[in-house]
Amino acid sequence: MARERERDPGVETVSSVCDSSWALFFILKNKYLLEPCASGEIVVNEVSFVRKCIGADSSHGDLWGKLICTNFKVSFITHDALPKQRFQVANRLLGEHDVPLACVEQVVTVNDAKGKQKVLCSNQKLKFNPTELILYCKDFRIIRFRFDEAGPQSAKKVCLAIAHYSQPADPQLLFGFEYVGKQYYGSLVNGVDPGGGLQMPLFDRPSEWDREIKRTGASEWRVCSINEGYVVSPSLPEYVVVPVSLADQDLKQYLCFFTAHRIPLWCWNHPNGSALVRMASISDPLQQRKLDQRICSAITKSHPQRSDVLKSDLDKNLPNIQDIQAAFVKVRHICVIEPFEESEEKWLSSMESSRWLEYVRAFLKHSAEVVYLLEGKHVSVILQEEEDRDLSCVVSSLVQLMLDPHFRSLTGFQSLVQKEWVMAGHRFLHRCNHLKKNDKEESPLFQLFLDCVWQIINQYPAAFEFTETYLTVLSDSMWIPVFSTFLFNCPQQRTENSMDFAKSKCIPMGEEKALRFPPVWDWSQQFTPKDQALFNNPMYVGKGATCVQNGTVKSFRRTKKNYSSTLRGMPSSLRNILMDGHDSLTLTRRNSLVPRLKPDFSQIREVVESPTERFFRDWVSRPADLQGMLIPQLLPSHLALWRLYFLRWVPEASIPKGGPVTAYHKLSQLADEVEKLQSQLRQYKGATPASTPTSNPSAPPSDHSRMYFKAGSTHEPSSIPEYLSSSFPFSPVGNMCRRSILGTPLSKFLNGAKTWLSTETLANEAL
Amino acid sequence: GLSQERLNMEPTLPDVSTYKDIMYICPFSGPVKGKVFITNYRLYFKSADADPSVTLNVPLGAIGRVEKMGGASSRGENSYGLDITCKDMRNLRFALKQEGHSRRDIFDILFRYAFPLSHGLLLFAYLSQEKYEENGWSVYKPMEEFRRQGLPTDKWRITFINDNYELCDTYPTILVVPFKATEEDLRKVSTFRSRGRIPATGGGYEGDDTYQNAELVFLDIHNIHVMRESLKKLKDIVYPNVEESHWLSSLESTHWLEHIKLVLSGAIQVADKISGGNSVVVHCSDGWDRTAQLTSLAMLMLDSHYRTLRGFQVLLEKEWISFGHKFASRIGHGDKNHADQDRSPIFVQFIDCVWQMTKQFPTAFEFNERLLMTILDHLFSCRFGTFLYNCESARDTNVRSKTVSLWSLVNSDSTSYLNPFYTPESSRVLYPVASMRHLELWVTYYIRWNPRIRQQQSPVEQRYMELLALRDEYLKKLEELQLTDSSPNSSHLSNSSASNAASPTQHINHLHTPF
Repeated sequence: MARERERDPGVETVSSVCDSSWALFFILKNKYLLEPCASGEIVVNEVSFVRKCIGADSSHGDLWGKLICTNFKVSFITHDALPKQRFQVANRLLGEHDVPLACVEQVVTVNDAKGKQKVLCSNQKLKFNPTELILYCKDFRIIRFRFDEAGPQSAKKVCLAIAHYSQPADPQLLFGFEYVGKQYYGSLVNGVDPGGGLQMPLFDRPSEWDREIKRTGASEWRVCSINEGYVVSPSLPEYVVVPVSLADQDLKQYLCFFTAHRIPLWCWNHPNGSALVRMASISDPLQQRKLDQRICSAITKSHPQRSDVLKSDLDKNLPNIQDIQAAFVKVRHICVIEPFEESEEKWLSSMESSRWLEYVRAFLKHSAEVVYLLEGKHVSVILQEEEDRDLSCVVSSLVQLMLDPHFRSLTGFQSLVQKEWVMAGHRFLHRCNHLKKNDKEESPLFQLFLDCVWQIINQYPAAFEFTETYLTVLSDSMWIPVFSTFLFNCPQQRTENSMDFAKSKCIPMGEEKALRFPPVWDWSQQFTPKDQALFNNPMYVGKGATCVQNGTVKSFRRTKKNYSSTLRGMPSSLRNILMDGHDSLTLTRRNSLVPRLKPDFSQIREVVESPTERFFRDWVSRPADLQGMLIPQLLPSHLALWRLYFLRWVPEASIPKGGPVTAYHKLSQLADEVEKLQSQLRQYKGATPASTPTSNPSAPPSDHSRMYFKAGSTHEPSSIPEYLSSSFPFSPVGNMCRRSILGTPLSKFLNGAKTWLSTETLANEAL
Repeated sequence: GLSQERLNMEPTLPDVSTYKDIMYICPFSGPVKGKVFITNYRLYFKSADADPSVTLNVPLGAIGRVEKMGGASSRGENSYGLDITCKDMRNLRFALKQEGHSRRDIFDILFRYAFPLSHGLLLFAYLSQEKYEENGWSVYKPMEEFRRQGLPTDKWRITFINDNYELCDTYPTILVVPFKATEEDLRKVSTFRSRGRIPATGGGYEGDDTYQNAELVFLDIHNIHVMRESLKKLKDIVYPNVEESHWLSSLESTHWLEHIKLVLSGAIQVADKISGGNSVVVHCSDGWDRTAQLTSLAMLMLDSHYRTLRGFQVLLEKEWISFGHKFASRIGHGDKNHADQDRSPIFVQFIDCVWQMTKQFPTAFEFNERLLMTILDHLFSCRFGTFLYNCESARDTNVRSKTVSLWSLVNSDSTSYLNPFYTPESSRVLYPVASMRHLELWVTYYIRWNPRIRQQQSPVEQRYMELLALRDEYLKKLEELQLTDSSPNSSHLSNSSASNAASPTQHINHLHTPF
């Protein structure tokens, strides 16, 4: 095992982050107090008189400062202010110009005098003194530094250090371990329990599963603890939910037939009793039929109407992880590498050829079809995937988002990710490729999921408690390697690595099973409460939210009626179709759902909708109930590029004082005003209006506004702040420098690159 | 039965032709049996069954072409019927029974009333008896508009030289021209400009020194025929079904968004030159298609007045209607000649450009998407006199006295057309990003006939309106509470507070101050 490699526990902390073979690096121990400096952070190398490039075409506006590589991040310390600086949300763990090492995707060094360039990897030599360093980041930024005035040797060392430390050899070399070790175990007085103040389940305790069972009314399901201590399956959580009719004994008997011993996992129950279950494939073909039958019959028994169970094979019907990775790389290339003007003409077809939106649509569509089965056909559904750790995470989460408004609240959404991704064993470590040595395992499943969520938000903007800024920040947090959420392949790995690390560092663990890595959901790690307000959607129509309909204030309440009455409201003809069960419903992708009308009228009778289409159309014809089922519009014409996410750093694409945020600004101000009025009304005893504020119960008390933009006073008319742009709260300034490399346009230089750049090709060129 | 209210919503002639047992061949849910009603304004279809419940409501003006389909020998009874092509991005097919000559009757009546000008009949706008509180014809008064712009000046003067359309029959009667240009000069110039269209101010943006240091910029915008074909291709990929397998490349191959981009970036260049202190002469071959698009878009970018509900109406009246965009030729109102090469969706393209701007700047326009959709609906409907005729001289005084202006409808119900997010910024110049990264297909307009798509107009706008109503409700309640709460010890709020809607902090202060 890699983590058993040589390590001298006697040597101070510094050595653990520095491979001993790299004596080249002179390590400066906390010599500088970096601001902001995370605990456990150590300066590895630094170089002064560095120029950070700002403009794309000239050195005008460039910043002078010191470039520092720590064990956590690449930092640039400057006293110069950015020209025409726009608003940028501040991160408590990172300075304005910082890039976490985990966010560095590729390190390119250039010497323009010698006409050389090289992609730097860990443990590599560099035969020239770099004049320029380009960092390609996982969050799509491209950052450049010039060393014209810097000491050549120091510059080289910093470049090598960045390349080295951004490719840790072992998970325990990820900064999170140092951070958690220092933050919570380093001093006598323990820090605040990370996540302790969180009002949301992490699903690492049986009680939290019990509560979810009760919440969804899944009375015929139980919490099973046969995997306590991860004894039966290392990739499953310790507690799983199974049909009541399956005893632990049965499960123990079945588990060896499932891939990686992953027995079926209950995800969610529809109020009509239908269950959503996820399952790995059955590895023994001889047992396939028998086992399938047993599992299905157990699930049927857990259904109040003893409804059927349908199995949906995700591997057959959806793109695989390599397809998704390839699409992501292409869409990234089109959005940030291609020269802006040249790519305009073929923009749409390039987007199409990336297939990213096609995949987004495929996942949304498949999920919507599962929604139809659960809601329209009242049957239980098993999502089956080879290992049940990738595609099913996306589909099960999307299905639950469409069907259960609870998951559209902020805490609900976070618990959903916790349940269907973190606990279900999505391999975040590999899919993020934090160690940069699992290129074939890298795949942006989570980003794809976030894009799918964005599409639904884009279509139903008042249905979610959180904003697209929240989704973007959540994605960026994947590259800050301190959160339990994104560091590991499964909960067991966290425990194992924690024990190892604690042992090697003599950290007393006490009763704890794992180091207390903060979950990403502890947003106070990164942002002030004020900045966290950017996550709140002022439009949200949540549970108990008030609104005015026909002049009277009403309050939305989740009732059984508007939640599961779809079928009752349906015309009898459709009901018959559904009950028949022989409507050729298949969960396969179909490109054209309706044959085009031929000029020959004799064909007109063949224009028949599938029951799924009919179900969707019927739903579309009624007013949308934001507290009920929500099916996204699935036509390709109605899916859009997530501009904030993909184009936020592109200066040419930024709309100054424009974009959706300008409406968000006004909405926030109005929502803030409404909140203030509500709290005033509450001061009159017994005079409260119909219900609680638009906030959810866990929101801060109403004297702290939930809105980022506060209601203005009458004296100053609300105008749009100068710093708003379509990139808000991000800023392209200094984050996207796409100058050509040695006269070669960046796009040509990078064309056909596997990820950002083809490592081998470039390395060879430089030799 | 049929909702008589809907038919009566707008005036119709007393004779409504009703046809039973008609099969509407719905491209979405298959053949639907029902009744067809035809008035001199619209074609209305209502399905007999409630499931699926299908209604069609088509102004006859929106009909571009009516054709008989299938003969007596065609296979199947359903193959015998009518095929109707509409100007508003949809086609309709009806299957009819062969016996009883119903097809001939329907065809004749549709043909007659959809194309009244080809049959010596009046356009519906002349038959409409509608009454509105507001008279939309008074929206645009040239002299007032010139005054608003600070004209005349020492460099520009107003001329009545075209009072009788003698100088140029496609120009308005009142013109603003360079101060130094004498009436004699103008007459001379008019003889060699295409159709006598001398340079005149499109909103006062044309300079007297333009021709001395002229910089010629070609904007590469294609002609009206290319635009017509482009929109036709777009219709092919969105109606009846949206092209699913290769949507984006299909959309690209229509070039519709690319044309939008070229028009917008052309207008940005014009606006940029003007805001940089230069004057600009915008022209195309005749100066009534591209010129109208570019000048009016540049004016929208430069002058915030045109971004208001009234200002936008003035902009259309001035740059499009008064300056002679050939609406009659481009749209073909009431004319049966559907293949006329003069037809082109130049105005639709302009409205699309405006929509793109409103998408990029959600707070900069006083009007909403509904206004733009309403304008396009009545561009075809012939219910209002606004978009009829090719130019002012053809639009004799009868139009104003005998027809209703579209702005009468709009301004009598202006709240429905207001953008709640509107934040006036009087001196702001608005440059949209004319990039494919931001331009998008206006699906709520182009793909609105598809029943599988939820037809919701801006949920963001809707939610804002709800919050506004909620705020007002709370303010009212608060005021009531404060009024009833009259005991001497209790806190009190001044009466004026309710009107100070945006000042909740003040309320709190008052609440804690014994009065």
